[in-house]
Amino acid sequence: MFDTLFIGLSLSSILLLVALGLAVTYGAMGIINMAHGEMVMIGAYVAVLSNIWLGTNLLLTIPLAFLVTAALGYGLERLVVRRLYGRLLDTLLATWGIAILLQQAIRLEFGLSFFGIHVEGLGSGLQNVPVPQFLQGTLGLFGLQLNSYRVFIVLVTLVLAGLTWFTLYRTPLGMKVRAIIRNPQMAAACGIDVKATNAITFALGSGLAGVAGVLMAGFRSVSPDMGATMVVDGFMVVVTGGVGSLLGTMAAAGILGEINALVAIFFNEIAGRASVLLVVILVILLRPAGLFSFKGR
Amino acid sequence: MSVYALETEALGVSFGRFRAVDGVSLKVAKGELRVLLGANGAGKTTLMDLISGRTRSTSGRVLLNGRDVTNLREYRIARAGIGRKFQIPSIFTGLTVRQNIEVAQSRYPGVFSNLRIGRSAADRARVEEVIDLVGLSDQMKTEAGTLSHGQIQWLELGMLMIQSPDVILLDEPTAGMTQAETGKTAAIINRLKGNHTMLVVEHDMAFVRDIAEKITVLHLGRVLAEGTVAEIESDAAVRAAYLGSQEISAC
Amino acid sequence: MTSLLTNYRIWAYLLFFAVLLALPLTGDDFWLNRVAKYLCFGMLGAAIALTWGYAGVLNLGQGLFFGLGAYAMAMPLKLASYTSLQQGSDQPVPDFMLWNAQPGASTDLCCITPGSWLWIPFQSQWFGVAMAIIAPVIVATLLGRLIFGQRISGVFVSIITLALVLLARLLLVDAQPLTNGFNGLTDLGYFNLFGTELDPYAVTTYYVITIALIVVLVLARLLVATRAGTVLQATRDSQTRALYLGYDVPAYQTFFFAVSAAISGLAGMLYVVVAEFASPSFLDLTFSVSMVVWAAVGGRGSILGACIGAILINVLEARASETEALVEAWKAIVGLVFVLVVIWLPQGLGGFAHDMMRRLTGRRRPESLKQEVRQ
Repeated sequence: MFDTLFIGLSLSSILLLVALGLAVTYGAMGIINMAHGEMVMIGAYVAVLSNIWLGTNLLLTIPLAFLVTAALGYGLERLVVRRLYGRLLDTLLATWGIAILLQQAIRLEFGLSFFGIHVEGLGSGLQNVPVPQFLQGTLGLFGLQLNSYRVFIVLVTLVLAGLTWFTLYRTPLGMKVRAIIRNPQMAAACGIDVKATNAITFALGSGLAGVAGVLMAGFRSVSPDMGATMVVDGFMVVVTGGVGSLLGTMAAAGILGEINALVAIFFNEIAGRASVLLVVILVILLRPAGLFSFKGR
Repeated sequence: MSVYALETEALGVSFGRFRAVDGVSLKVAKGELRVLLGANGAGKTTLMDLISGRTRSTSGRVLLNGRDVTNLREYRIARAGIGRKFQIPSIFTGLTVRQNIEVAQSRYPGVFSNLRIGRSAADRARVEEVIDLVGLSDQMKTEAGTLSHGQIQWLELGMLMIQSPDVILLDEPTAGMTQAETGKTAAIINRLKGNHTMLVVEHDMAFVRDIAEKITVLHLGRVLAEGTVAEIESDAAVRAAYLGSQEISAC
Repeated sequence: MTSLLTNYRIWAYLLFFAVLLALPLTGDDFWLNRVAKYLCFGMLGAAIALTWGYAGVLNLGQGLFFGLGAYAMAMPLKLASYTSLQQGSDQPVPDFMLWNAQPGASTDLCCITPGSWLWIPFQSQWFGVAMAIIAPVIVATLLGRLIFGQRISGVFVSIITLALVLLARLLLVDAQPLTNGFNGLTDLGYFNLFGTELDPYAVTTYYVITIALIVVLVLARLLVATRAGTVLQATRDSQTRALYLGYDVPAYQTFFFAVSAAISGLAGMLYVVVAEFASPSFLDLTFSVSMVVWAAVGGRGSILGACIGAILINVLEARASETEALVEAWKAIVGLVFVLVVIWLPQGLGGFAHDMMRRLTGRRRPESLKQEVRQ
């Protein structure tokens, strides 16, 4: 039983990694960023490319991917998202369009494939990144053999969640973000530069996605379309958990991950994924604000 | 025993421990125009929300011509005969002025009964009449979203006129209006007097003096005083409540 | 003035119909067959515009209804195909059921696999036709009552429809013995329309689809011109105001949602007739989102615009896919155009054309339609 729970935990931690960034942007800006999955994908490709071209190991690419995707997110916010303020559905659609563009950018190797140039590490095929030696194999914990890399992911997720918590609750920036989540108009009236803060929030959220991508590159193959399903999963967590509480997002990721694992064990994998979707639909119907939300009336 | 057009019996709602409206009992006679006064936060808009079904009450009843309409769904309360004009004007921005009024002429609101194109000559005449009454004849084919603030308020009043509910709830009908616009609004409301029962929430005392018959003053969710303009203005309790708190006038 | 306005709209429709009807003169069978498929997509564009532009409801899972219609049609056509008689008897049983059957199971349609009796009524192709419309309508009505009844609106509705199409796809693929899972239903027979077999490459088939599209467009356009259509647009602009006028807003939303589902089901059914297969890929999220892209570019507020947008994009894509290098680049171009349209031309090319006509006839464009109020 415990190993099922552990699988659930590792699934949850992956969900959480993706959902953290989404939760922050959705909470602060109310927007649904469909390009978030692609940020994960880009993070993974940063790992691939730096492994091939710079010879770096997986861990070192984490900060690099963070910077790349944060910068990309910042650009995206300023160029696209900002122009669609107040138009929620249109933001969802525009970011979906950006997602398509990002995917194609990788597939077309930034246009170079047109000229017959092939960059190793890009293109439509699958890529892989080797896991550093010390993270391979299994770890003996609680009398069980647990996959070391999965344990590593859980740990990194906790660290990231902790860092996010710290940023949100112990820094001036975080205070501004929380103020905006609670009441954007009031925050602006109190002198908070909502636009600038939102741009940074968006960048941070995308950066987190980039890190998630690096970690994922370690245990699955990397391809241009790996992001598409992830953003949906991420939103399932965000919508279930609700807005305004980091713990809520974590709890939601935990719940959905465990439901997936448990149902998959008793029935099959498809039933596992189906049950998660069902839970999300029910949450939206019965408690649209999410299970752990406490946004203002 | 005569039946009041609108009556609330100890109507109240609590949000957690906060009692927004606390046991308000109101009796508005048919054709009467009642003004609701009170500082911001006194519960005026919440009271309207309770009556019109926007917010569920936690205690008390709402009676429309003797019929209990407490906590029915908004559209059912609307069909029963209560119409409402909002503080923030809500009209159909993508439709023309004419279409707005046509939609408001909702005698048969069901989906299937509306699966027809065109309306009768009598209906069309009435639509044009109402548009004329609110002074928007020149804008009949203008998209409502492009109207000025004052015009939007009148459009909404026009929609109410053609809806012709027994009881009309008006929430700050002159908010954001110029002096001239306020005067025109007073004229429209005075025109509605007598044929409809109205409950008006207002801040602008000059406007209130223009239209009021009887006033109910709310304070902290409860009825503080009731009477004519003169009686209210000289009531000690009202003075204490207003002098004690910041009065925010409409700007 | 009004007559001039409606005039250009009517002319646009008539011109479009004329082009469609005259098309067989220009191309070969293969080309016509492709266009017929795109006409089905045109119906999907119109269906999206109906709910999105007029009701303010963005359905990100329209593929669900398309798929229901497609499978409802594919089932009788599968049973009518020679591949379903391979087991020897003259009672058809789909070949994949035989492959998936438990050893020793009977080879009758009723009992070869759990649930296979669901296929029995589909021995009649007209039952399939009926179900292709009825099933989506029933599902849409139930969903509508649930979703709109709970006063869910805006982005949340879209997320639910997205989750639903994903869920349906999973279930469809999982029911391998019943639906042939990933492979879908292939090797289908021809539809028999009152004695004429509808060969997917025959001109007759093309005309059947064209007539269906014309009927759908005309009916949809008339529907939004009714009083109910105006009320629907009112609910899009201000749900609150409509409710306080006494309109049962959820009822209106559900009704038009169901109409849109019916159109999608019809599109699915006709698609199977020309494409000769039904597959779970119809329920892919990317396909459902593509429909939204077509409608966005063509004009979400215009039934004809969205329809033409769908057809044009697909025709261009077909041209692009003839050149190896252009295939992936084409997707990037569409993505870019989509983003630009969403940001700067929210009413799409159809809306843009509408604006031009208004300017020519002396009218102004509403600023209001470009904005959506944050809920």
